[in-house]
Amino acid sequence: MAERGIDPSEEKKSYGSVFLIGSALLVAMTLWAFWDDNITRRPWKGFQRQFFRLDYDKAKAAYDEENKKLQADPNYQELSKKLADARASLNGGPLGDKLETLEEQEERADIRFKELDQEVKFIKSELEEAWYEHDHAVQQRRDARPYLEHIRELEKEQAQLEPKLEAARAERDRLRAEIKKIHASAKEIEAELAKLAAERDKWQRVMDNVTINLGPLSMYKIPKIQQVVMDEFDRNRFDQPIARVDRCQTCHIAINRAGFEDAPQPFRTHPRREVLLADNAHPPEKFGCTGCHEGQGVAVNSVAQAHGEVHLWEYPLLRGAKVQSSCTSCHLDVQKLEDAPLLAEGQRLFEQVGCTGCHLVQGYENIPKVGPSLRRISAKLDPSWMVRWIENPHKFRPRTRMPNFEFKQEEALAIAAYLWSLSKDDGEAWLQNHPMPAGFRQGNGADSARGKKLVESIGCKGCHGFTEGEFSTPLGKNKDLVPNLKDIGAKTNARWLYHWIKNPRDFSPETKMPSLRLTDDEAAAITSYLMTLGSKGEPIQGIEEKLADANNIKRGEALVRKYGCFGCHDIEGMEKESRIGVELTTFGSKTLEELFFGNRTDIKRTWDDWTFNKIKTPRIYATERVEQIMPQFNLADEDIHALRVVLGGFRERKVGQRYLAKRDDRVVDVVEGRRLMQQYNCVGCHEIENRGGFVKKYYENPASAPPPLNGEGEKVQSDWLFSFLKAPFPLRPWLEIRMPTFGFSDEHANQLVRYFNGLSKVEIPFAHFDEKSVPRENLEAARILVSPEYFNCYSCHQQGDKKPEGPQEGWAPDLTLARERLKPDWIIKWLRDPQKVQPGTKMPSFFPGGPDNILGGKDDKQIEALRDYLMALGDGAGRPPQAPLAPGKPRLAGR
Amino acid sequence: MGKFGMFVLAAGLLALPAGAAAQYAGGDVKDGGSISGTVKFKGTAPAPKKLDINKDKEVCGKTPKVDQSLVVKDGNLANAVVMITDIKKGKKVETKKVVLDQEGCEYKPHVLAFPAGSTVEIRNPDGILHNVHSYSKVNTPFNLAQPKFKKTMDVKIEKPEAIEVKCDVHGWMQGWLVAAPNPYFAVTDTSGNFKLTDVPPGTYNVEVWHEKLGKINQKVTVKAKEDAKVNFEMAGK
Repeated sequence: MAERGIDPSEEKKSYGSVFLIGSALLVAMTLWAFWDDNITRRPWKGFQRQFFRLDYDKAKAAYDEENKKLQADPNYQELSKKLADARASLNGGPLGDKLETLEEQEERADIRFKELDQEVKFIKSELEEAWYEHDHAVQQRRDARPYLEHIRELEKEQAQLEPKLEAARAERDRLRAEIKKIHASAKEIEAELAKLAAERDKWQRVMDNVTINLGPLSMYKIPKIQQVVMDEFDRNRFDQPIARVDRCQTCHIAINRAGFEDAPQPFRTHPRREVLLADNAHPPEKFGCTGCHEGQGVAVNSVAQAHGEVHLWEYPLLRGAKVQSSCTSCHLDVQKLEDAPLLAEGQRLFEQVGCTGCHLVQGYENIPKVGPSLRRISAKLDPSWMVRWIENPHKFRPRTRMPNFEFKQEEALAIAAYLWSLSKDDGEAWLQNHPMPAGFRQGNGADSARGKKLVESIGCKGCHGFTEGEFSTPLGKNKDLVPNLKDIGAKTNARWLYHWIKNPRDFSPETKMPSLRLTDDEAAAITSYLMTLGSKGEPIQGIEEKLADANNIKRGEALVRKYGCFGCHDIEGMEKESRIGVELTTFGSKTLEELFFGNRTDIKRTWDDWTFNKIKTPRIYATERVEQIMPQFNLADEDIHALRVVLGGFRERKVGQRYLAKRDDRVVDVVEGRRLMQQYNCVGCHEIENRGGFVKKYYENPASAPPPLNGEGEKVQSDWLFSFLKAPFPLRPWLEIRMPTFGFSDEHANQLVRYFNGLSKVEIPFAHFDEKSVPRENLEAARILVSPEYFNCYSCHQQGDKKPEGPQEGWAPDLTLARERLKPDWIIKWLRDPQKVQPGTKMPSFFPGGPDNILGGKDDKQIEALRDYLMALGDGAGRPPQAPLAPGKPRLAGR
Repeated sequence: MGKFGMFVLAAGLLALPAGAAAQYAGGDVKDGGSISGTVKFKGTAPAPKKLDINKDKEVCGKTPKVDQSLVVKDGNLANAVVMITDIKKGKKVETKKVVLDQEGCEYKPHVLAFPAGSTVEIRNPDGILHNVHSYSKVNTPFNLAQPKFKKTMDVKIEKPEAIEVKCDVHGWMQGWLVAAPNPYFAVTDTSGNFKLTDVPPGTYNVEVWHEKLGKINQKVTVKAKEDAKVNFEMAGK
């Protein structure tokens, strides 16, 4: 009878097959889980194994190679044979027997020693106990005598044992020494062999490093995640420091190991590893990889994930030169970074092309306007030329920094009318006060020829070009920092030009153009020459009326405001206008959602592509409804790449203090001073920080070019440099090129002095030299040394008013200036090896090789004596005349 | 302190032709031939410029001086250096001391040729300050003062190069040190003649170098114990 609720047929039913399938599935799932977890999601294991093999094979090959060399080395063969002989003689023969006996004896002696030692130790502890009992009894006022007797007994026993112990020790040591002596020869040979085989055995260690050896079994190491934790590298949204974790070296395992420079990725050595990953630079155990390269440091499950080149990861790997963007995160002074040339170039472009006129960026707020002031513009320009220039400046001067706003002619006219109206009164007043000099002869061939000669010799070419494609300081690939004057005659008039070159600051107080201290005659000649370059274009019909038209003026003002002309130019009444472009301080961290692609479908959706196309064709993303007004700069693609590197570095990132490069006062001095130096284009003539001196290319003889200023801070006294910058004078009589008078403000002159001091790491800018403490002996010796009988210094050097014989080209600086100008320590360095301080200098080396009969023939003493002599030379009031070159001096007037 | 400082010139960075010296192996030459001939100047040479002796006249201005940078006599070119550029094996290189004299403020000889690795003894018999400023690119440049008391000084030129030397004290002084990559070189005499001896039989590239006229090359085949005659003609630029 069937029980209720129980179905017998159900009881008899077999679920075996279900369980079987279930367990089979479970097993399969488990296996799959293992597979997935260990293989599919851990591609890095494969990479590591691959690397171990690579490393092992490479080491093995190197080992075999070295081994072959070693085996062929007769020295090695001989030593190996000696070693084998030594070992063989130990294993048999009389020496072997002796060794065996000795070893047996040593064993017995050792046992004997240890037994005795044990006994002594026991007695010593019994003594301890006895003393305890004794002291205890004394403290309890019992009779302590029996204990004392026991102690004496024990002490006697110890005294008997101790000499025996010493004898046993001596015997054992003697035997040991003898055994060692027998082994010694073999040991020595072994050491020598190891020395010979060091190069080979190094590779053995490399092989051992990637393998695990279990007896006869050998296999590759088990792959392991390689992880770097960079504490406090990042900051979270709440501005709290957080760590960053990098696992890049799990696959890029040889990144900091030499020898894999040509290995396939991911196993290649870091380029310039010895510099970039050095302990004083970016050791990977401190800086990780993503600090510079970005990517998703913790990810190891696929290459794309690890490199962060996946959807929604905001910081994909910076490939190629783009990595230079990251330097800005920690380095304030990026121009000195040898390995970030594109960043340095980009930064110069960014500062000098005029980006900061419209765009605010933190750290670049105080860059002065790059264009000329437009006050009094009416005194300077041909009005028709001005209209055409505004319409499209690239047509007249393709390499100008001024961008093309693609104005229609009536728009250009309106802007010109507005600017003209602002400057007319002022311009006319200025002209009234600056009449054309009486002696000026327009179109006089002789004057022009003289002017041309002057332009080519006195330094105009340090900044300006005068023929097609001529320039001194490059600004990117196809821009000029300073205008090329090959068509200057089309633009301006002789009267303005004459007064401008004579004293640029008189016309425009803020200009960077310096005065070359021209005489009236020189200025007239140069003006005459410049006016032969280019000729006036066809005047625009009725230009005067059009410029005076009130409607035009009104429209012009609106256009000037809209396009932000005041970003680059000083315009009356618009001094306080703010920049019209967007702020770029965090532009590098912009996500795709924040970038407006307009209706463009042909541009790849990446930050890189957006930025490149924006700079290349600034209005590319405009649509019918969205106007864009950024003008066209016509930059070369290389320059856009460089700018993009800079823009990429404008990031919202606060790196932890410990990762930052030095940014103390000196670094700030250098960065700011360099910026100023570049604005004044000092590098046009002088080589500074091993860059520049571009005017050199016009000189066959390097000694005729301006002096390089590498190490200037170490060389000259700070107060001298300051006053020289304020009022330069001809220091090197053989140079035709002149150091111009820039009219630096005290602030700027100070900043430049700090810059040179900062570059030379001058700790103490002012140093006193006490000439009273100079030994007489030194002065007397030096006087002999400088005389014609010895070094004959005044054969070339001036001494105050005493000029050397021969032509001026062969002269050298006035030595009476040294006490005011040069640092005493620098003089020593200079005299030791002038070529080292300034390669190519005319100053020959007198040392080593000073005369034997002065100051004991010691070079160092002679150099010191010369230093003392120079610092004491002259009367101290010998500061040279600061007046400009007097007119009519034969050298200048004759040219 | 040695009176005659020895300045060993360390390796320059631009070691381009230096490889040539490393490649050359000297030894004994049996049945060597020779190359001889004349270097001519094509066209009419300009009259040599008189040098303006404007300093230390009592020492330097004793005899009138003319510019030595282009010396042509009857159409024959002096001071040209003839050398075999592509020889790998031949006679031994003898790096003996050669002498550059500055007597009367003039480099004598005007062109001094020697195998690379030689030491040049620079003499100053004038009793005034000279300096020897080298404009080298392959070897390390030097600029050594030679005051009155330093009658001689030694300079070692390690690598093959034609080096211009000048004196900054006396602007007109100019000359050449030519360090050859092998022992097969000769400077043409005033008749433009030269001779290279003990040349192993073979075909070689012979180069003529002149400071003003540049270089010309010609293939020359040398037979055992015979003299290969070859003439060159250089034209003004």
